[in-house]
Amino acid sequence: MEFEAVIGLEIHVELNCATKMFCDCPNRPGDEPNVNTCPTCLWFPGAMPRLSQEALEKASLLCLGLGAELQPRSAFDQKVYYYPDLPKGYQLSQAHLPLSRGGAIDIVDEGGNPKTIRIHHIHMEEDVARLVHEMEGRLPISLVDFNRAGVPLVEIVTEPDFRAPHEAMEFLKALRTQVRSVGSSECSMENGTMRVDANISIRPRGTTQMSTKVEVKNMNSIRHVADAIAYEISRQSAAVQAGETVILHTRLWDTDKKVTLPMRAKFEGPCVPDPAVPVIELSRDWIEKMRARLPEMPAAMAERFVTQHGLTGEEAMLLSSDPEVAGYFEALVGQGIAPRTATHWLTTQLIPAVRDRRQELSSSPVTPVRFAALLKMLSQDEINANAAREVLVQLFDSDETPEAIVSARGFGQVSDPNALDSLIDEVLGAQPAAVADVRSGCGKAMGFLIGQVMQASGGKANPKVIRELLAKKLGAIS
Amino acid sequence: MDSVFFYCSPETAAPKGGDLHGLKIAIQPNMSVAGWPTDAGSNALTGFAALEDATIVRRLRQAGAFLCGSTRMSEFGFGLQNSRAGEALRQQTADAELVIDLTGESRLAASRVALCGFKPSYGLVSRFGLVGLIPSMECCGVLSGSVKNIRDILKTVAGEDELDFSLPDEEPVDFSPQEIDPQETSIGVITEAQDALSAEEKEMFRASLDELREAGFSLRDVSLPDFSLFSLVHRIVGSVEASSCAGRYDSVRYGQRAPGAKNWNDMYLLSRGVAFGPLMKSYLFQGAFFQFERYDAFEDACRIRARLLADMQRLTSQADYLVVPAVDCAPSGAPASLADTYAQFASTAFANVTGQPALYLPPAPDGAHSGFQLAGPRLSDASLLALGEHLLNVRQGGK
Repeated sequence: MEFEAVIGLEIHVELNCATKMFCDCPNRPGDEPNVNTCPTCLWFPGAMPRLSQEALEKASLLCLGLGAELQPRSAFDQKVYYYPDLPKGYQLSQAHLPLSRGGAIDIVDEGGNPKTIRIHHIHMEEDVARLVHEMEGRLPISLVDFNRAGVPLVEIVTEPDFRAPHEAMEFLKALRTQVRSVGSSECSMENGTMRVDANISIRPRGTTQMSTKVEVKNMNSIRHVADAIAYEISRQSAAVQAGETVILHTRLWDTDKKVTLPMRAKFEGPCVPDPAVPVIELSRDWIEKMRARLPEMPAAMAERFVTQHGLTGEEAMLLSSDPEVAGYFEALVGQGIAPRTATHWLTTQLIPAVRDRRQELSSSPVTPVRFAALLKMLSQDEINANAAREVLVQLFDSDETPEAIVSARGFGQVSDPNALDSLIDEVLGAQPAAVADVRSGCGKAMGFLIGQVMQASGGKANPKVIRELLAKKLGAIS
Repeated sequence: MDSVFFYCSPETAAPKGGDLHGLKIAIQPNMSVAGWPTDAGSNALTGFAALEDATIVRRLRQAGAFLCGSTRMSEFGFGLQNSRAGEALRQQTADAELVIDLTGESRLAASRVALCGFKPSYGLVSRFGLVGLIPSMECCGVLSGSVKNIRDILKTVAGEDELDFSLPDEEPVDFSPQEIDPQETSIGVITEAQDALSAEEKEMFRASLDELREAGFSLRDVSLPDFSLFSLVHRIVGSVEASSCAGRYDSVRYGQRAPGAKNWNDMYLLSRGVAFGPLMKSYLFQGAFFQFERYDAFEDACRIRARLLADMQRLTSQADYLVVPAVDCAPSGAPASLADTYAQFASTAFANVTGQPALYLPPAPDGAHSGFQLAGPRLSDASLLALGEHLLNVRQGGK
């Protein structure tokens, strides 16, 4: 029997707010244990939660950025579960009335076809404390770090629209890009600011039955999410084929062994409304104000790059997926650089160079103005591509303008045919075999000859002019 | 015999000045005073000292009141079984007492010492710093021999608090004294609220109504056929909220951690086992049952609560105030069961379910009638207290 998988994702995203969700403690879970705590996030008797305005705004922007509909009325509930990372016994979460409903992300499936993954709802919740297990001599002890308790999270719950691991991966990449561009979170699975749980069930292909799902957690990269889903699909298929019943439970992904292993169930029950946190009522005005703060989303930006700047879809997607890169690109175009040149030099030269130097594009010494000046010289044939690459290296280490570097270091391109004439004659004299090849129509030999002339010119000759001159001379000889 | 007080203030007097200067107020150990033991009457919080003042505490002290100590209370203030509420007034060691009111405790405690007891509107007084159990029902009540004291205290503690976001954004209640004109004031008598009374109690309640008539008020019968459901709705919704909320009283970071556990799971289970008393345990078990096994019943109870609230709003549009019996059918002897406790508060739970204010007035010293409750619409606290003050004045031969 052939099976198909039905997969839904639940994604926790940690909001990059200055404070925790319900108190004024700094939102820095990585600090020395238990320094960022107060009676509210220690959940002491008598303390009351006070919802942070920033958390509500960042969560709302995230919802709007994913095309979700903010609900005029949402509320917090007490989600009861019992575990030492939650000494309060309940987590404040929006179980009954979530912040937003709906929304979707468009992806491309394995077959290259567009596919829409629907979002069921997005709700806010507080994070719980972190358990640290240590040994005190031979005695195992568990320590509780409350720095993470009360950290603002949103949970994005998708519809079970995924059929393959690849789709989940594409969705998560797109989600990360979109959330980064609204500025609500860095969404790093490696750093734990994005955590993904996958709900996976299988059914005979072509049927629409709902089967028992298994939840898989503990993946710490997007790649691992795909691996865990793929593993789980084959595990469940094998189990069903062997006549076993799939039971509802939670499994943990083991990164080293590349398998999912069953985990002990947490004791969890239905949620009770918490009147300590007031109901959140969002007016139409407020929602529109939030919408106005929304930056252009990647998909819309990519579309604009194609129509306005004539980029290919692929180039446009690449640039728009990182707000920093997109901004840099637009700055270059604003400086009068041709969009295709800007795209090419940005993606193949500048970004790798910045990455090699462990810098950020926005704080790199190669500002859009300096880089544009360099590209301008290139397009006006004042320097050639080789020289441009050399000058780029200099731009990282020097405060000088690209023009100053070019004239000081003699990177200026030689385009004067008279100046190149004698060089070309020397090369032709020294390379009779290549000359013969060119005459018999071998294109490779032409490239070789151009390279030789370039070398002879110390890399300063204009390759276009060399090609023209060579063609003329060899044509003349024949 | 145990002292009335669980804890006595180490200070001997309040700083001079302020609207409440000279007023001695006893509180309960579920109201946070920084540094005071705050165990809310439960082993689960044994040894817990509050880290910061409750908003009510801070405001009372700023107004010059002297907080003389905290009186013994039932576990989390639920029921009156181990409560000594009212006795500091009887002993005259306090001029007023703050008593948490979950099902009517402040009003029935007042009836035991024949003084006035007031439960304010839900959302009028900050709950910041109160160690709570049933967040949607509980409210800080005030007991005193004088309605004026109650009004002065409410005036001081009520209103907006930046530490309690759950207070609704409403017009502040004006607690300045106001005149009551009996000719212009109607009082509704809820017929069904008398159903559970014995013949003798009915007789006494009728005598109370006569007092109101003699004072010049016009009485009219109003009907709320489902009055008996208040107690049932309270029992289901209250127990579920308690079961969920009490999760935070884990007896691990404070309170009594049970010895002999093999692992953390054991330690939590054993500790919770020894933390709570029998009545609280059965309440939490019941709440857990509705939460985990019969959530539908909890949802039904919430819906019925909304309907009862609408019914009550209808009654308060038919009459300016309502008069309701206040019968303390305290179980005698053996520890109270959950059923006993709810039976005891059958006449008072309505105001916790609806969030409306209710004032208990004691019988006149020479009167042949019982005490009774007056209730009004939500946020009618000031005029309800004015009505109570008016009636006490009439008894003393005033207007």
